[in-house]
Amino acid sequence: MTWTRKRIIIAVSVVYIAGLVILGIAFGKSPKANFDIQSEFKLTPWVKAGPLEINRGVVYLFLSILATLASVAYVSRKMQQRPNRVQTAVETMYSLMRDNISRGNLDPRMAARWFPFLGTVFLFLWWCNIIGYIPLPTNSEETINIFGVAVPSFALYAATANVSVAFILSLVVFILFNAEGFRKWGFRGYFKHLMPSGVGKLLVLVAPLEIISTFMRLVSLTIRLWANILAGHMIILFMSGGMAVILGITAIGWLTLPLGVAVFMFEVGLIASLQAFIFATLSAIYLAGAVEGGH
Amino acid sequence: MLGVGASSPLITPNVGLMVWTLLLFGISLFVLAKLAFPRITEALDKRQRAIEDSIDAAENTRTQADALLAEYRERLQEARGQADEIVQRARQAGETHERESEEQAKARREQMMEQARRDIESETRKAIQEIRTEVANLTVAATEKVTRKTLTEDDQRRLVEEALSELDFSALASTEGER
Repeated sequence: MTWTRKRIIIAVSVVYIAGLVILGIAFGKSPKANFDIQSEFKLTPWVKAGPLEINRGVVYLFLSILATLASVAYVSRKMQQRPNRVQTAVETMYSLMRDNISRGNLDPRMAARWFPFLGTVFLFLWWCNIIGYIPLPTNSEETINIFGVAVPSFALYAATANVSVAFILSLVVFILFNAEGFRKWGFRGYFKHLMPSGVGKLLVLVAPLEIISTFMRLVSLTIRLWANILAGHMIILFMSGGMAVILGITAIGWLTLPLGVAVFMFEVGLIASLQAFIFATLSAIYLAGAVEGGH
Repeated sequence: MLGVGASSPLITPNVGLMVWTLLLFGISLFVLAKLAFPRITEALDKRQRAIEDSIDAAENTRTQADALLAEYRERLQEARGQADEIVQRARQAGETHERESEEQAKARREQMMEQARRDIESETRKAIQEIRTEVANLTVAATEKVTRKTLTEDDQRRLVEEALSELDFSALASTEGER
């Protein structure tokens, strides 16, 4: 048992090192290519229609929405008394959305009111993130010529790797939780609600900080989601060949490929779900914070 | 390499994308909230109710089963008691019957023995009588031969009776009777 495992480890190591040496000798160092990592994330307008142009991000949005709707429609039609394995998995996700994200942070009345929104946010972001790790022929900057047709090359991309998508969703959350606050406490009441009690004259100093911190929620929500997904994609890109292209050393690509695979698995297995969950949970917490308690 | 400037596509806000996001998110929120989520929630709640009902029903059944079991145990106990009682009674009845039949048999035996005794007694008496008559006749005949003289019948009889009365048959009769 240990003998075979040892042999496998040795074999893999030999192949890895041999590949490194062979690639290093065969290709050596070529002149640095003009590779721009940004072009991997460029939004090229495909169909121009004023502000509503169709580009790569929009296509990914469509894919995510379709996946969201299709998955939920499939599940809602297949609901039965005795669940099968797929349904059990989806129900676990559903209970995560309903019991963990919504009811875990909000009182029952608020949870019932906001569950559809929080659930949609979570599912939509989850699909956005997951689809982002499926290679799709969407990179129109680099095309492959197949029988005379310039087919966009396969790329990893995600709608949530766009600051615009993350920002507008954060803005929606920001507007909604502030609207809940104003609805509950009134205009002046809400500002009072935002301020801490017992600071006395220091309120003059604290007030601007509290206002800024509320607005920082918008920024942090945006950046947390967008930067996480973008950084994940970038690392995968660099590790899986981008570095080799930039440095002009082919062997580097071979060296970093295992890391690329590891990061990919980490992103798909954890980050995609985690970021969707965090975004939805923070939305719930902000909503709760706007209406709960009082100073 | 990473030209982070105003022109970088990484951080350039794209209004179109924002509008699309809003639009598509709005549509999916509407569809999910109005159509999908209520159905899933309903189905889940229904199933939860069904599970709760099943658990309740199972508990009820178990309670009933327990009650039934207790009842059966009680009945079994009763039946066992009754069986014991029946066996006891049967034993008693058997013993009584045995005793009675023994007594009956004894009584009958005694009766039969009594009868036999009486028969023997009467037979003995009859035999003694016959012996007497025989002896008398023999004596008469013997006397006749000896004396060559015929006595009258009456004389003979008187003589024999006198002789016999001197003999004691009582001992014989009593020995016969005791047997």
